Amino acid sequence: MHHTHLSRRRFALLAGTAGVAPLALTGPIPLAAQNEAPITADVVVRRIQARLGGDWPSTGPDGFKAGDPATVVKGIATTAMATLDVLKAAVKADANLVLTYEPTFYGRADGAAPPAAARGRGTFGLAADDPVVKAKREWIEKNGAVVFRLRDHWLARQEGDMVTALAAALGWSNHRVRPDDALYGIPAASAEKVVDLIRAKLNTRGGVRAVGDRKAAIRRVRLHPGSMTPAVMWQRYSEADMIVAGEVREWENTHYAADMFTAGEKRALVTVGRVVSEEPGMRACAEWLKTVIPEVPAKWIDAGDPYWRPA
Amino acid sequence: MTANEVVELIKKNSKVPWNERSTRDRFKAGNPDVTIKGIATTMMTTFDVLKRANAAGLNMVITHEDTYWNDPDDTRDLTANALYKLKTDYVLKNEMVVWRNHDNMHATTPDYTVVGELRSAGIKGGENASMRPGILTIPETTLGELAAQVKRSSGARAIRCVGDPKARVSKVVVGPGYATPRMTPEVDVAIGGEQQEADGGFDDAEYVMDAVSLGMAKGLILLGHVISEQAGMEDYAKWLGTFIPGVPIRFVPAEEPFW
Repeated sequence: MHHTHLSRRRFALLAGTAGVAPLALTGPIPLAAQNEAPITADVVVRRIQARLGGDWPSTGPDGFKAGDPATVVKGIATTAMATLDVLKAAVKADANLVLTYEPTFYGRADGAAPPAAARGRGTFGLAADDPVVKAKREWIEKNGAVVFRLRDHWLARQEGDMVTALAAALGWSNHRVRPDDALYGIPAASAEKVVDLIRAKLNTRGGVRAVGDRKAAIRRVRLHPGSMTPAVMWQRYSEADMIVAGEVREWENTHYAADMFTAGEKRALVTVGRVVSEEPGMRACAEWLKTVIPEVPAKWIDAGDPYWRPA
Repeated sequence: MTANEVVELIKKNSKVPWNERSTRDRFKAGNPDVTIKGIATTMMTTFDVLKRANAAGLNMVITHEDTYWNDPDDTRDLTANALYKLKTDYVLKNEMVVWRNHDNMHATTPDYTVVGELRSAGIKGGENASMRPGILTIPETTLGELAAQVKRSSGARAIRCVGDPKARVSKVVVGPGYATPRMTPEVDVAIGGEQQEADGGFDDAEYVMDAVSLGMAKGLILLGHVISEQAGMEDYAKWLGTFIPGVPIRFVPAEEPFW
């Protein structure tokens, strides 16, 4: 049992949601009660919430996104991104509750109305009657599926599965330098060879991109699944030969890695794609669920590398 | 002529009232009062671009993107960073100066970054494009063919695409850099530089994947940030030459960073 221990990250999460009333959670539901009632999506989610702890404010990213929470769960699928193809595969495999790390409806708002004053660069907004949104929602309802987003609380888990599972997928589990860090000391190889290994192990198509010194001897690798900020890059790049991240902003971290190369630094930055970097962590989530909801099967469904390269 | 005087001339000749509130469009490194021997325009002031500009005797660099690896060019957390010192010392030691034009460039029609993006993508009719040129119609082709054409035309190595390569497409939207346009029901293909892959303002990749799963013809082509905005800085250099006398003005491309 790990839910009594507050990690630093989870503490930050709690602090960030202070003032929001927590759900009435009193810990795991007694087994006797579980056996009497059918396992609905709502019951599954309440058990996950109890095990992971923390507040679950309705304003946070985690929560039900589509389908009826009262639906009886036949099986659970985990995925980094609940694309329609993932949902189709899940329903076909009798997994009608899908836990997704990333949004279902194409953005941070995830089907809700976008914020009135959208800030920063990029593009915002989605029409309520958008045909893709409508068709996806209808498909989910017609097929009795339920989609729940599980991101912040899974990321905040003390065990740090997003990192360790990515390391395991790359075959580096035994090479962790310190137990509380994402630095791995791997068998030395050129940056090019390590990138080849990453492509093969993560089963990517066209999403992997590398910048820096392709001939550099790589021994120390920092793993950063998901999106990496410039501050992490500035602070940690020099202590590793390679950073493997999900994604970065090209005019920030990619630019930094290119300048380090010009300065003669023998390092490389590899981005494998956000979703690809997060899939191993959601595979670990399916294994974890088997200990939380033993009554129904749980399996991981890979959303896959979204990208291909032109001829 | 000093760098300051060059910037005053640019503001005077601007086709739109100059937005002085932009914190991006400022001097980033070096002394604005330094005498200008030559001007380099570039999409991004990489260390490599600084070195090549200096070797060519161009001591003023006009860059579209940042110099210090974060969008606002905030250097408060970088004062102890070795690379920051190296890059800044290089500018000072060689009497160079870096000035950025980002927001005002995108506010101007034509937005040279988009003009250049359409040209490098091999899409005709973008000679006077604004930052949001709307839906462009190209001769019907497949997504795979269009992506291959964009690759040949731009020379980029690391173009990434989402969607069905066999999908028949003709309605295209483009956006420069991180301003990759959002996909809409009317559009077949969105072309941009880069975009956060998920959990952003709008996630084109997942939208396109789902549209394909529903049998709709949709595609996304990501050129990379540098490639998407690069070519227009050559147009910008030519425009500067129409009113800045007496100094060489040259386009110094930033290299596509990926291998």
